[in-house]
Amino acid sequence: MTAETAVAVRPVVETTVAPRRRRQTLPLLNLVGALIVSAAVLYVTFFPAPGLPALGPAFNPTTGAWTMAADAQVTNRVLHLAGLRQPVSVVLERDGTAHISAQTDHDLFLATGYVHARFRLFQMDLMRRQGAGRLSEVVGKAAVNSDRFELQLGLLRTAQAEWKQLQTDDQSRQALVAYAQGVNDRIAEAESMHQLDAMFTLLGYQPQPWSPIDSLLVKGDMTQTLNFTDTPLVMALLKKSLGADLSSEWFPILPPNQQSPYDIGPYAKPTIAPIETMSEVTDAKAQSAAALYQRLAALPPGLVAKGGASNNWAVGGAKTTSGGALLAGDPHLHLTLPAIWFQLTMDSPGYHAAGVGIPGTPIVLIGHNEHIAWTLTDAQNQQTFFYLEHEDAVHPGRYLWNGGWQNYKTVSYEIPVQGAQTQHLDVKLSVHGPVISERGQTTSVWWTGNLPSQDLGVLLRLGQAGNFGEFRSALRGWLAPTHNFIYADDRGNIGLISAGYYPLVAKGQPWLPMAGTGEFDVIGTIPFDDIPQAYNPPDNILWSANQRQVTSSYPYYIGTASNFFDAGYRANEIHRVLSQPGKLSADDMSALQTDTRDSLAAEIVPVLLQSLSKERLNAKESAAVDLLRSWDFRMETNSAAATIWWYFWGWYLDETFKPWWKSRAVPVDYGVVFNALGQDLEAWTLHDPGNRAFSAPGVGSRTAPDAQRKSFHKLIGDLTKQLGPDPHSWSYGKVHQRVLENLAEVSGLNYGPRPDRGDGNTPLAAGGYPSTEGPSWRMVVDWGAKTFEAIYPGGQSENPASDWYTDRVDSWWAGRLNPMLTAGEADAAGGIHTWSLQP
Amino acid sequence: MRLYVTLLLAALLALAGVLLGLWWAPFVVGLLLGAITQRARIAILAGAAIGLVGWLVPLAVAQERYGLGPTAQSLAAIMKFDHQAALPIALTLLVGTLLGLTGAWLASAGRGLATSART
Repeated sequence: MTAETAVAVRPVVETTVAPRRRRQTLPLLNLVGALIVSAAVLYVTFFPAPGLPALGPAFNPTTGAWTMAADAQVTNRVLHLAGLRQPVSVVLERDGTAHISAQTDHDLFLATGYVHARFRLFQMDLMRRQGAGRLSEVVGKAAVNSDRFELQLGLLRTAQAEWKQLQTDDQSRQALVAYAQGVNDRIAEAESMHQLDAMFTLLGYQPQPWSPIDSLLVKGDMTQTLNFTDTPLVMALLKKSLGADLSSEWFPILPPNQQSPYDIGPYAKPTIAPIETMSEVTDAKAQSAAALYQRLAALPPGLVAKGGASNNWAVGGAKTTSGGALLAGDPHLHLTLPAIWFQLTMDSPGYHAAGVGIPGTPIVLIGHNEHIAWTLTDAQNQQTFFYLEHEDAVHPGRYLWNGGWQNYKTVSYEIPVQGAQTQHLDVKLSVHGPVISERGQTTSVWWTGNLPSQDLGVLLRLGQAGNFGEFRSALRGWLAPTHNFIYADDRGNIGLISAGYYPLVAKGQPWLPMAGTGEFDVIGTIPFDDIPQAYNPPDNILWSANQRQVTSSYPYYIGTASNFFDAGYRANEIHRVLSQPGKLSADDMSALQTDTRDSLAAEIVPVLLQSLSKERLNAKESAAVDLLRSWDFRMETNSAAATIWWYFWGWYLDETFKPWWKSRAVPVDYGVVFNALGQDLEAWTLHDPGNRAFSAPGVGSRTAPDAQRKSFHKLIGDLTKQLGPDPHSWSYGKVHQRVLENLAEVSGLNYGPRPDRGDGNTPLAAGGYPSTEGPSWRMVVDWGAKTFEAIYPGGQSENPASDWYTDRVDSWWAGRLNPMLTAGEADAAGGIHTWSLQP
Repeated sequence: MRLYVTLLLAALLALAGVLLGLWWAPFVVGLLLGAITQRARIAILAGAAIGLVGWLVPLAVAQERYGLGPTAQSLAAIMKFDHQAALPIALTLLVGTLLGLTGAWLASAGRGLATSART
């Protein structure tokens, strides 16, 4: 072919071959494009991507998260529940408070399980997963450390042991079984109706059937949150860095300040010799303590108790306007949405109680029955002990105990991790408990929460008690966490028992990690008759607010001032109010629950004003002094003096102790011992202004007034920068807010932050900035007027689309209480829903 | 007329599937539609519309019966959309639409390739 012919034929080729190729290429490209886009769409709809659930199951309108709209509706219903023996009636009040009336105890517990799960299944699932170390199975790697720690600590092992110990005819075993059946009835119903909580859908998993062990795990979670402490590790680090003299003085066994114990004796003679005073901490011990302390400090909040805060008190009939006994209580816990509590009345031939229980457990934990009312605070005695196991190279994998070399027992676990490989965990167990650190010296932990208990049975009997004798008898079996159970009955009697296990060690220093060789082991508990308790005291008042319950003459060691009894300011204020002359009413009880008077401020501010009396002050400082001078010591949101006081106290602590922390390189977070140091500072300010603590290295010789003046000048500068130049505008609500946090840590579903009154020292507890803990359930009972009132922040439903998610918050915030109706009263009230549960 | 009937039946089929919990039904119906409809553009548009309808109608019914405002706000909060309640609704409808659209597109593209290969 010539070039010419080639050119001549070329157009022909172009017009015949190219369109065909294009016709074949374009459809192919189209298909490839369709395949790629379809694959992408199908992938994101069927499979979760990082940070996103699988979009199809999560967002489709019939079975996805949108079903929370239907779930939020509560209507009258007739339901058939597997396992039910007789019909059960459930009346739901306008605010969702449930009244369950059953003809048998079995049916009552079954229906309670159903009702709990209807409104709180996801919360229950999270709680059991936390205790069982199975959180990472649904939330991924973020929870692996928590799971590993929980499995080491052993809530699951304890729950399994407790379950094994329950006899088949045991009332609590039967309650647990029936309760589990009720929960599983709801799981089956929710799955069939596509009404599982939206969080299941969004996290892409289905709840496993509930078992009785799960309920025991939930109880274990609470024990851990309230009583598993790291204070012996903290004490070891403080002692090593600060030295024996300062740490003994600053962190004493008995509180350095004036407190208000409720049980003032006389006490029984001790059955054990008094324990020794402080001694040295070796380098090895300090290194081991530091490693473990850091590990525990890195765990999520709630796994290690950080001091508690709760109030309760009772007034005998002789001191009340109604003539009947009064009881008030407000346990202070992490305030979450949904709340830890679910309000209900449980009514059957063998059990009648009204109040609140923890979803996942089949009982009323705080409340009343026909004859008695009770509530509780944490007793705070030391329940966690660390043991340094003695090992050597000649006996690998063994430890020395009571003169012989022992083998560790080993338990193995698999930890499924969502989106990652399953992790394997071996847990070593010594006679003291699980080994929780092998960095430095191998350290095991003895913790009361690891003693298999029958506490659930105790709580059942508590709800069935009709007088103080039965109440006290029931509490004999209570182990952990130790609680101050307060009591008032319909005959005007009041009582308080700080029930639980009070470990005794034969000798040694239990506030520090101890040698695990046997001679320092826990050898038993303080006898029940010797634990703090009181009944119908002459002054007709009883109170507890996490303070040390007994005086310095109490013969047993129950913990140091910093491990972790409260500093006592709330108890002092409660005692001050209750012990005033005159009679008290239910309204007085309610007012005291929302009392914002800071008794520490009432002590310290006059001293501060005296220290400033001859100081040259500028205009702002003078205005601040005037505000303090006219202040009533109440931490109200509109009070500028409250802001000045609180900043002053913080600066004063810093001014006194921070230089020590720096010069001695103390490896403990300063905030951890804030309360303990506060007690010292209070005592020195009032009684020992020349204490050497004010003359820290590098600051020269000073006294308390010197430190106060310096702190005052600093705080005025600090507040001017933060809040502007006019002290009158420094209202407390600008710096102090409260937030109720969503349990699943979805910040958009929190309530607040919202300005709120109170602080860590006031009966209306609101420590922290913002405050996330506080009165989780306020209850006031007047047996004379037969009135029962209560409230908790939040609502009965965990569904954020429900009216019952936050419907109680505003009333709670304002300090109002709602009447606790009987089932009959609820039935007669308007706006109720009724469920008829049929076999 | 036949086209309209086909589209109507397809929409009903997709809707029934979604109501039965088969949320991926629009994709399958889209596939069928793409396979039997000669004109690709119509198939794809119809697939998208069927996907939209399949997910919109149950959502609208839920809105009518329960009100979706609090749910939409909650989902927006969970998804960190800063309480923009419209976004979860838009996302939901987008997913439904994309399922129908991609199903129809995929089948239509396959059909197109097969047709061109035959010619």
